[in-house]
Amino acid sequence: MRTEVNAVTLLPRRGLTASLLSFLVIAAACSSGGGQSAPPQAGCNSGTKQVLFWTSHTPPDTVSMKNMVDTFNKQSSTDCVKMVQVPGSETDIAKLTTAVRGGTGPDVYELDRFTVAERAAAGVLTDLTPYGAADQSSNYLDFAWKEAIFKGKPYALPFDTDARALFYNKDLMQAAGVDPSQLDIAKGAPTIDLVRSIAAKLNKKDASGKYTTIGFVPFLSQGWHYTWGFAYGGSFFNASSCKVTPDDPKIVQAFKDMFWDWSTSLGVDQLQTFISTYAPTTPPLPTEQDAFLTGHLGMVVTGPWVLSWFPQYKPNLHYGVTYIPIPHQGDTPATWAGGWSVVIPKGAKNAKGGYDFMKYFAGEPGQRTYTKETQHMPTWKALLTDNSLYQGDLGLFVKLLPTAHSRPALPVGSLYWDQLSTAQDAAVRHSKDPAVALKDAATATNDKLQQFCPLQ
Amino acid sequence: MIAAPRLRRFRLTQEDRRNLRTALPFIAPWIVGFLAFTVYPIIYSLYLSFTHYSGFGDATPAGFDNYTHMVKDPLFWQSLGNTLYYTALAVPIGVVVAIALAIMMNQNVREVAIYRAAFYLPSIIPLFALTFIFIVLLNPGFGFVDYVLELFHIPAVNWLGDAHWTKISIVLLAQLGAGGPALIFLAGLRAVPTELYEAATLEGAGPLRRFWKITFPLITPVILFDLIYGTILGIQIFTPAFVLTGGTSGGGAYTAGPENSLLFYVYYLYKNAFQYSDMGYASAMAWVLFVISVLLAVAIMRWSRAWVHYEVT
Repeated sequence: MRTEVNAVTLLPRRGLTASLLSFLVIAAACSSGGGQSAPPQAGCNSGTKQVLFWTSHTPPDTVSMKNMVDTFNKQSSTDCVKMVQVPGSETDIAKLTTAVRGGTGPDVYELDRFTVAERAAAGVLTDLTPYGAADQSSNYLDFAWKEAIFKGKPYALPFDTDARALFYNKDLMQAAGVDPSQLDIAKGAPTIDLVRSIAAKLNKKDASGKYTTIGFVPFLSQGWHYTWGFAYGGSFFNASSCKVTPDDPKIVQAFKDMFWDWSTSLGVDQLQTFISTYAPTTPPLPTEQDAFLTGHLGMVVTGPWVLSWFPQYKPNLHYGVTYIPIPHQGDTPATWAGGWSVVIPKGAKNAKGGYDFMKYFAGEPGQRTYTKETQHMPTWKALLTDNSLYQGDLGLFVKLLPTAHSRPALPVGSLYWDQLSTAQDAAVRHSKDPAVALKDAATATNDKLQQFCPLQ
Repeated sequence: MIAAPRLRRFRLTQEDRRNLRTALPFIAPWIVGFLAFTVYPIIYSLYLSFTHYSGFGDATPAGFDNYTHMVKDPLFWQSLGNTLYYTALAVPIGVVVAIALAIMMNQNVREVAIYRAAFYLPSIIPLFALTFIFIVLLNPGFGFVDYVLELFHIPAVNWLGDAHWTKISIVLLAQLGAGGPALIFLAGLRAVPTELYEAATLEGAGPLRRFWKITFPLITPVILFDLIYGTILGIQIFTPAFVLTGGTSGGGAYTAGPENSLLFYVYYLYKNAFQYSDMGYASAMAWVLFVISVLLAVAIMRWSRAWVHYEVT
């Protein structure tokens, strides 16, 4: 008994000594190796300081980004960028939020530009005014720069952009006895009626009555609420009243025509079975199984990034590109542009170095590399006139840019997007009348938006 | 008057105090961790639930705003409805499947070890990976499940594309994790005295009668445990819905499954916290969920008095 008691009473002291020793070893390990002149990582110059850069993008985009980082590191005598791929998406920044809150966030983060206002309002981002970011405004496309601003202050440098257009499969059309030249871009924007009549001829079913090919589904890929709302001339936000306006009659009409009625004509359930089989959104199929590439979808509204898919996954595809269809002959065709940006999150340890990198990455040299390597479009104005960058059909998208719409930059941008998506889904599945669904979206979004008004 | 003797029972002797002093340094790291990472966040989240807070900067006092907003938020009610619907289906079905698996694992055959391993195996596959396998199996065009249905002339089901079937798909998916509870049921089955079965067999009771009259009453404590544990896990369902709906990726967030049918409570809470930067509302939702969990657990405990047998009488 006595021995046991002694052992027990001794243990804490031994434990204490052991803990102290471990602490000293760890402290020594942490303090060693902090040489002043050694570069923080391979490929960097001596004496440089690390800049941690996070992106949620995946290859092939990140391959190009890595090239840009390597080039920057070679030429910089002060900064050494370490690029890390992290989980996240256009609207999900859980990883960033928790890291910044925990004091382990990056110095630079790639953020979807339409959420800059939202994240700035939440306090996640650093105001870039002290770094002179406002001086950069004239270098960027106007709409892109406006998205980088919140309450008059710059919080981001715009990176790439895009636009949406109608892609059509010429082989499928010819096989169905349809002349694809009707959609030739030289003839201007096709009407929705023309696209509807062509699409009907491409539809095919198997012996069991399931669709195997559908001519056109307006709400697949980039056929969003915004796409058709803009096409119908709708307005999504009223700046003077500081209220979102998804219940604009033009947007309601777009929802009725392109979502509700289009589903009716194909059969709501049959169409959903086709989508679940060949073009599921829950979650999306790998790129090589995209319904347009595999010939299950005759036409699709999508962006210029698919131009880089064709040579890789379907080199023999005969396709054409034209404007997004217009409701009536003579209407002005519409599209919208999105894109990404780079920001400095709060608590960045090397914000100055981060901004130096941002100026390169989102500046002329970075955007030139990215455009050349990924078929995304630049927001750097001077690059838009350099025709050597735009091979093939990418040129069309560049021409679309000056008149492209953009989503309203709101502190509730993600919520608004989700509310519009819910209304779109309800219209497609006939579970709620479009006018009612859009009214609900307006109520829910305005409810949250009011706390940020006025936005100027 | 009555409290005094009760208090005396908790009075520590000198030896107790000495033991406590010895023990405290050993459990100190856990106590610190528990206070810092469990107790503090719980209390902090209660405070946040009465504020507007984005996760950064200062929290603005909001009184009961977050709680009153819930009442008029249709997505809150839909997410709660989705979650209770799922739990009401998944938990009882889970108990039946786990008992069935346990009975199969308990058969007196030579290769039973192989069966046990095979039945348990899906439970240790990450849910993330299982969900992806399930997506392929449930494809209405070329998925295995619909292929089998069609062999029996049952119309194909659009499992993940039809709001009526999405939650049932996740209930089916959850059954692949039944191996864990099945092991607990197996332990319960092994604890049933064999002489009861021998006596019943001598009296002429068949297998079904033996199950209902002996096995079932004697494993009711395990069933109770599984019901409470399953309910608490069920109302926190998140991962399969997040994976099935592609999370928030894929060209911008879409709905959480068709007609938001997979917008479960915790998924909506996550969206509020990390997509809409509304930590105050998310915290309020977490507290409401906590209260619902407690109420459900208490209700099940009370109900259990009517059917749980703790000993052979």
